[in-house]
Amino acid sequence: MKNFPARILDELAQVWTVTLKDIKVYYLRPGMIMFGFMMPFFMFFSFSVRREMAAGEGLSRLLALTIFFTAAAAGPFIIPTERRMGTYDRLLAAPMSLITLLLGKISVGAFFAIIVSSIAAVFGIIFLDTNIAHPLLMIAGIIIGSFTFSTMGLIFGSIPTRNPGDVQMPSTLIRWVLLFISGVFVPLADMSTVARGFSYISPLTYAQDLMNHAVLGMGELNLWLDLGILFLSGLLFLLPSIKLHKRGRVLGY
Amino acid sequence: MTNAIEVKNLSKYYGKFLAVDDIDFTVEKGEIFGFLGPNGAGKTTTQRMLTSLLTPSEGLIRILGYDLAHDAQPAKRQVGLVPEESNVYTELTAWDNLMFTGRLYRMSKSNRITRAEELLKIFGLWEKKDVKAENFSKGMKRRLSIAMAIIHKPALLFLDEPTPGLDAQSARAIQTIIRQLSAEGTTIFMTTHQIEEANQLCDRVAIINHGKIAAIDTPEKLKQTFQQVQSVEIAFMQSPEGLKEKLATLPEVSTVVKIGDKWRLYNDSPPALLPHLVEFAEKENLNILSLNTLAPSLEDVFLQITGQQVGTVKAVPTSQNKKAGMRRKGGKR
Repeated sequence: MKNFPARILDELAQVWTVTLKDIKVYYLRPGMIMFGFMMPFFMFFSFSVRREMAAGEGLSRLLALTIFFTAAAAGPFIIPTERRMGTYDRLLAAPMSLITLLLGKISVGAFFAIIVSSIAAVFGIIFLDTNIAHPLLMIAGIIIGSFTFSTMGLIFGSIPTRNPGDVQMPSTLIRWVLLFISGVFVPLADMSTVARGFSYISPLTYAQDLMNHAVLGMGELNLWLDLGILFLSGLLFLLPSIKLHKRGRVLGY
Repeated sequence: MTNAIEVKNLSKYYGKFLAVDDIDFTVEKGEIFGFLGPNGAGKTTTQRMLTSLLTPSEGLIRILGYDLAHDAQPAKRQVGLVPEESNVYTELTAWDNLMFTGRLYRMSKSNRITRAEELLKIFGLWEKKDVKAENFSKGMKRRLSIAMAIIHKPALLFLDEPTPGLDAQSARAIQTIIRQLSAEGTTIFMTTHQIEEANQLCDRVAIINHGKIAAIDTPEKLKQTFQQVQSVEIAFMQSPEGLKEKLATLPEVSTVVKIGDKWRLYNDSPPALLPHLVEFAEKENLNILSLNTLAPSLEDVFLQITGQQVGTVKAVPTSQNKKAGMRRKGGKR
């Protein structure tokens, strides 16, 4: 019997194995490029064109959007695709815990979001000559936000179905709702009391505020509140995924 | 001797539908065990429960001595699974598929490389090791799928329908591999529709029907139990209208089936039927081309147990036949 640290290292190695395989297999698939890479940029440009906005403000929004959309795109695409191809059974039958498998899948979306957000950040810094107020905070925010929203995407991927189309629809709908009630396009300070109340439901609000702290050096909410809520949301999002996977195992998916 | 698989009171409900109904069986270490049954009988459901892909509604499963409900990880480490559809990653090369699976089973890098090279050569895929699996034929994907399932040298291998849809050469190659694995001590649990394949490969078979185990025994013992499905095969030069119905009236013939240009007459005692057949041919002015007596095949046993007619014309459904058909129910558990 292995001791606890050795077991943890073993499980982490399994997480990396799953992640590395998915990176090779899925990162260049059209579904991932469309929903994970192009969508946040489309969203950003469609809402930013002909609006006066400082470069830093624009970059802050772009970063929040890329973290949100890119990270949440992986789960709803990859898991139903693997269920349809039968390859998910290979992972479920492998000697690793469900949590390990789910962490592997979360990391796939998170790394994708980190890469795309980094591209956006480099673009903003070099071409828009944006000054980043707190670079380390931006990096931390991108990492925490990416993992949180990837975990959110995993909930949809965990719905027992073999058809990615069954999952894309509700996942897109809910992401759009969370986007529109958040403080991405209308700053929190400009919102009515009711709208502001709704915006607190969306974790994207805290990601946007965190990026405002990091890029602009100012946010509407407390920085630690942003970080804490994003972190806790990530943990909470894992629970329905575990439950849905167990349900899937009862139903035969 | 510890059993490789031990199943007790296993049931699976999908909502109100009972897919697997309180089954019990054991598979000894080193056996090739065939799990036969018609579509929807519960074969794949059972196998998915045995490989922890599906949660049972009730019952106990022990794999290599480990209770699957409470101690699945050690069991999973020693199990390989080849599902019905070859679940290889088509975007990866044959080599990358094997490396990935080796990592999943925590093999060291040197072991992975040595074993992958060995398997790709055995399975005739070495020349294609750097080709993406999307360019492979169905048979090649099947072989790669099996290679992935055994890269970690599992003690127990589950095979779901290993050969259907493959050309004869690929099917033969896979059957040879199954025999080799068994000779090396791997326990094999295979679900199949290919009854002749089960007859040739399996030490024992279980026949599942409507979610229940209807019979478990060696293929030969099952055939002996079902002597009433012996038959006489006869070919005439002529094929007049109404011949099938006339043949069905011969003494003790239970069923008549046309197979190609031959007629197969099922009855309890083929030698007793032969004089009646010769007399019938003379009376009807028919010339006999060939005449053979046939022992029951495993397929006959399967059809009898699963309640499917061995032919299209059933002459006299005797109570004796019905009793014999049920005799093995429960079988050796």
